[in-house]
Amino acid sequence: MKPVAITGLGVVSPFGAGVKAFWEGLSSGVCAIRPITLIDTEGFRCRIAAEVPGPIAGSARRSRADRLALAAAREALDDAGVERGDREDAAVIVGAVGGGMLEAEAWHWRRMRGSTEPVPRPLASSFPSAHADVIGGTLGLTGPRETVVTACSSGAASLAMAADLVGDGVVPVALAGGVDALTRICFMGFNALRLLDAAPCRPFDRDRRGMSIGEGAAFVVLEDPARARARGARVYAELVGYGMTGDAFHVTSPHPEGEGMARAMRIALQGAGVAAASVGYANAHGTATPQNDRIEARAMRDVFGEGGLLVSSTKSMIGHTMAAAGTLEAVATVLAVGSELVPPTAQLETPDPEIPFDCVPRVAREATVEFAISNSFGFGGQNVTLLFKRAA
Amino acid sequence: MEPKEVFDELKTILVSRLKFDPRRAVDLTLETALPKGVEDSIGLDSLDFIELSIAIEERFGIAMDESADLAPHFASFDTLSRYIASRTTRA
Amino acid sequence: MGQRVAITGVGVVDERTPDVATWLADESEARRLSRICQLTVAAGRRALADAGLDAHGGLAVMVGTEFGDMVSTISFVDGYLGRGPGGLSALLFPHTVMNTMAATTAIAVSAKGLSLTLSALTVAGELAIARAASAIRAGRVGACLAGGADEPAPLVMSALREAGAAPELRAAGAGFVVLETFDGARERGARILGEIAGAAWRAVPARPHRIGSTASSRAIAAALTEAGASAAEVGRVYTSANGDGPREEWERALVDAALAPHRLTHRSLSVPAGRHSGLAAHSVATAASEGGDKLALVHAVARGGNQVAILVRGPDGSDS
Repeated sequence: MKPVAITGLGVVSPFGAGVKAFWEGLSSGVCAIRPITLIDTEGFRCRIAAEVPGPIAGSARRSRADRLALAAAREALDDAGVERGDREDAAVIVGAVGGGMLEAEAWHWRRMRGSTEPVPRPLASSFPSAHADVIGGTLGLTGPRETVVTACSSGAASLAMAADLVGDGVVPVALAGGVDALTRICFMGFNALRLLDAAPCRPFDRDRRGMSIGEGAAFVVLEDPARARARGARVYAELVGYGMTGDAFHVTSPHPEGEGMARAMRIALQGAGVAAASVGYANAHGTATPQNDRIEARAMRDVFGEGGLLVSSTKSMIGHTMAAAGTLEAVATVLAVGSELVPPTAQLETPDPEIPFDCVPRVAREATVEFAISNSFGFGGQNVTLLFKRAA
Repeated sequence: MEPKEVFDELKTILVSRLKFDPRRAVDLTLETALPKGVEDSIGLDSLDFIELSIAIEERFGIAMDESADLAPHFASFDTLSRYIASRTTRA
Repeated sequence: MGQRVAITGVGVVDERTPDVATWLADESEARRLSRICQLTVAAGRRALADAGLDAHGGLAVMVGTEFGDMVSTISFVDGYLGRGPGGLSALLFPHTVMNTMAATTAIAVSAKGLSLTLSALTVAGELAIARAASAIRAGRVGACLAGGADEPAPLVMSALREAGAAPELRAAGAGFVVLETFDGARERGARILGEIAGAAWRAVPARPHRIGSTASSRAIAAALTEAGASAAEVGRVYTSANGDGPREEWERALVDAALAPHRLTHRSLSVPAGRHSGLAAHSVATAASEGGDKLALVHAVARGGNQVAILVRGPDGSDS
């Protein structure tokens, strides 16, 4: 694969607005999973999540998710210094699942209870495809425009798809990312599937009991490395490989031996011509379900060998941010490589003895890492691994 | 509740919540196995069992004890009906 | 440049298709699939059968959709609204994420390559086919099931009407084309229906969800460049018109401007039966089968400006 340079970052996370707040939270090992305020949680076993704090900047007429998306997109474009002229050709690829469902659900609830209020306008804002249209239309980005929905790996798939466009020379610059605002559907559904821990999740812990959900948005700017150098852009890291595979196994359960996960990691390495031994850190999918962590660890062991690299789960701090996860965690990985500091796995008290890796319990670890991967494994066996290289 | 009554309710749940064809439900017996992979079973997988648990909790007003290993109770309609019957008697 | 992209099969199903159930493996599979997933699986199997292709593990799947499985999503929510937490369905929950059609189809045909679901107003099916063609051309993917699926949910349709949206004709359906590298198709002796000579997708400047004010666009020109062809070589045009008058006018202006001075008749396969994201595959296959020595343009544009252009060559033109 042709390497692409990452020249801009934008984030709105459960730690607040901005990349700075995100990194400060992650590197401190703070857990942002708290009692839910956005929706009614009466009657549900798990009543916590990692919400984005405070009012979200932007017009109240826009959905929460659109506001999250715009804020993160703006920060990334400004950070990269993408000028108006380049925006015309720039691609926008957004990983999304819930769209503006938070508002649509509330309207539906009220209508079912007798309200006669009109349909939320525009109705299109309810769907995941809205964010790309809002970002593209508002910020003047008129290159290729796509919304990818691959469940929990959407925010990683978008980066891979954008890398294709830049690498193929279709566009000089791409804005790629992921967005999800908390929704009742997500909250209720994961509760119904018994996949949530009533307390903040504990990835890789022997006593882990399930996920925590979260919300947020993140975008990165990708461009051709030579072009980035020529214009003197700051390069955070390079995306040098990716693997996207399907388990074709079950709609919610992963393949028990992590076959598709391992294949995604191998393809990412092969595509970049990088040996497994060169990878120093894996930002895991790490949802803290008994099943995922065990199977993901097994797949990583198959690819990297026991103890072959540091592993940590960002979800321990910001929860599972659904479509935003792949991008938020890619940003965490990029920042880790650049800062020489691997963010920890919070709440990790008793590492699971069956997981043969140092999962960086509770305190960030100084480490010089040249190559790092970020894993995102979606419902339905949609596996994505992104491989990053430290900027020269 | 008696196991036989429970069994009838379970057949209703199979149709209404698990989308089984009503004509198939008629042929089921207490001996019919539930989990996929068992010969002549109705082929329920992990997601079906979660759906079944939710429906059982709602219909019978009991709480399924998640910390226990429920697999033996889910082996057949007979084992499941008796498990539920014993929980409703207690309640 | 790059691999040539062959079209080797097509499968389209909708509510009028008799015996969709015969394309489902058994009752157990049918029970777990929502209606839109049944249509998608059936269309996928039909397309692969038409292509004479076994997934053999390496097949990619790309599905475009406008609304995903909204029928299941609404049903899931109404379960809670009617009966509280006990009314929630674990079986319905996976269907509330739009990748459910792609995921269930990949499982049904054992496709273990990458699988993508693209959500977009109007252009989703064409977008999936265009992206699949690009992936094959670049050598990243050897074979792909590409197309789309939709099922209009009554609640969404009535909300659209209430909101004063244009009276678009919509139907439930799914459709795929099988795309492969030319070399791969020839090697296995596949019947070649045609070729995707070029494909591109861009956005036309427009406010979010609105009709733009310009007739100037770039996707058609980019597709022509990829095909190494000029506007004069386009003989037929298939559009995404389906009853939204202003959008239809805008599309006509965009296509005419891009192909000027050539003005061709525009035909939309979305009327009268109604549009769904599976019709993109139908348009591409129809464009290929209507053959001739000219290229056919399969075009779509959405409110908000998302635009896709696919240039199709018939089998005779593809032989060279």
